[in-house]
Amino acid sequence: MKKFLILLITLIVITSCKDDDDAKFGALNVDFINKAGSDLITLNAGFYTNMSNETYTVSELKYIISNIVLIKENGEEFIYPVADSYFLINEEVSSSKQITLDDIDAGVYTKIRFGVGVDQSNYPLNGVTNFIPTAEESGMLWSWSAGYKFVKFEGSFTPQGGTSSDFLLHIGSHGTVLDNYKEITLDISNTLTIGDQTTSNLSIETDVAKIFDSTNTYSLEQKSDVQVDPVNAPILAENISTMFAINNASN
Amino acid sequence: MVKNIGYIVLIIFGVACGSDKEDYVPISQNPELAFTIPSNFPEPSYNVTLNPPTEKGFELGKKLFYDGRLSSDGVISCGFCHIQDFAFTHHTHIVSHGVDGALGTRNAQPLHNLAFMNEFTWDGAAIHLDLQPIIPITAEVEMNESFSSILKKLEEQPEYVTLFREAFEDQKINSENLLKALSQFMIMMISSNSKYDKIERNEGSVFTANEAAGFELFTSKCASCHAGTLFTDQSYRNNGLAIDPEYNDIGRNRVTGLTSDLYKFKVPTLRNIELTFPYMHDGRLKTLQDVLDHYSDGMVDSETLDPVFKNTDGTILGISMTEEEKQQIISFLKTLTDDDFVNDTRFSEF
Repeated sequence: MKKFLILLITLIVITSCKDDDDAKFGALNVDFINKAGSDLITLNAGFYTNMSNETYTVSELKYIISNIVLIKENGEEFIYPVADSYFLINEEVSSSKQITLDDIDAGVYTKIRFGVGVDQSNYPLNGVTNFIPTAEESGMLWSWSAGYKFVKFEGSFTPQGGTSSDFLLHIGSHGTVLDNYKEITLDISNTLTIGDQTTSNLSIETDVAKIFDSTNTYSLEQKSDVQVDPVNAPILAENISTMFAINNASN
Repeated sequence: MVKNIGYIVLIIFGVACGSDKEDYVPISQNPELAFTIPSNFPEPSYNVTLNPPTEKGFELGKKLFYDGRLSSDGVISCGFCHIQDFAFTHHTHIVSHGVDGALGTRNAQPLHNLAFMNEFTWDGAAIHLDLQPIIPITAEVEMNESFSSILKKLEEQPEYVTLFREAFEDQKINSENLLKALSQFMIMMISSNSKYDKIERNEGSVFTANEAAGFELFTSKCASCHAGTLFTDQSYRNNGLAIDPEYNDIGRNRVTGLTSDLYKFKVPTLRNIELTFPYMHDGRLKTLQDVLDHYSDGMVDSETLDPVFKNTDGTILGISMTEEEKQQIISFLKTLTDDDFVNDTRFSEF
């Protein structure tokens, strides 16, 4: 009897905390590779041409990524903690172009969903205001408003046979009147496996050429200064929602 | 024996996973404050359950509100432009003053009953109370400060470290908690004890003959925009002010970019209006008499002038009032002054 008791107690001690160890978690690095068409972006030096025959250079490219969700083949979603899922991708700062997500449920994922900008329905929840210091340091707050700029794309351009001038495209939401926040879902064709205590990698290409030429054709001659612009901002936001593509997933 | 095993098993289950719990330290007493909706008020727009005011949160919010550390020069606090004696406006200042004597372009709005408002500032640039302070804090002509810098300054102050720890479960000094604390302080600022309130709630007060006549005139001539017990329908309208060439303030258009929103500003609440002079978004009108004169005779037409001020043929109608009627309306407006509120020591700096 005594032996049985000791055995029982040992068993209980071993098994009773097992819950915590059961789940397997891995990490994921997501790289954002900013390109213009097939060329990598070189700030202030690379020249690119859009379909309206405007040659442009890029001096600044920043965008906010948020609300990251990984989706399994059966539709099951792993929602990354929203409060920890605001990231600023800044072409100028290479460390900003790799984001690290920790404690992801292990498994095989076939899709990733994320937001460009900030979902207003998160206001003031989910730590959305804790992103303020990052946003203000990078000039991603509207100076007169309490909202974030979602995408900041600046440079100079020369129309065919014309002279060079600056362009400045700032896309964000306009109060509650116009919401330019976009969610993007990308298929990961070769699947993404998150292992146990391992780090997987995913790279996403961001093609700024699509800002001009995608669902809509946008020429800078049309308007090169877009800030709070209820006509052009939604056109550009729609194009922006098409500029991301999975480049590679490795496990 | 079997019974004993049962007990032992229970005890083992109970303690085997208990290691985390040993770190548990009860946080100091931080009781919730009663957020009481006055019986003549609507439901609040602010979701109080998501950020319930507590004793420590309120204390922290008040300390922040009156602390110059929130500005780049260490002097300009929120309370600098929002002075309690004048229902938290910048008394006699046409436009707000900021750091290093910088001048803003707009007149500081009163702070009261903010939990009942949907959007904030003259043009609705803040869609939530927790976001509003971002604007004055970061504006160059106001507090000209960054959140990163403020948080650093606060971390160096032991009293702030303690207050943040006591006020919030995650105990952190971060922008979310800073804004939440400010909101906890501000949503408690309810002004609901004016003579008008006591009449509306049947608490024994009565209008004088002048006030009663003024109330009747107000109801027929002003209350379509200054509606309800908050005296605003919270819409944005162009009330026919001539464009000030110095500021050329485009109003709501700056937020929405819509041409139809040019020169529109928030219909302000009229509570404590006697105290919050000067008037209009840029403080151009000094007295209530000036305001009523504007509505009767001073309007300027423009594309976006609110239709309520126009005749069917498009000419300006304005609001017709005799001198006597204006005096009566002013008498009524003075019944919206809430002395209890402006003297409430809970909200006072000292």
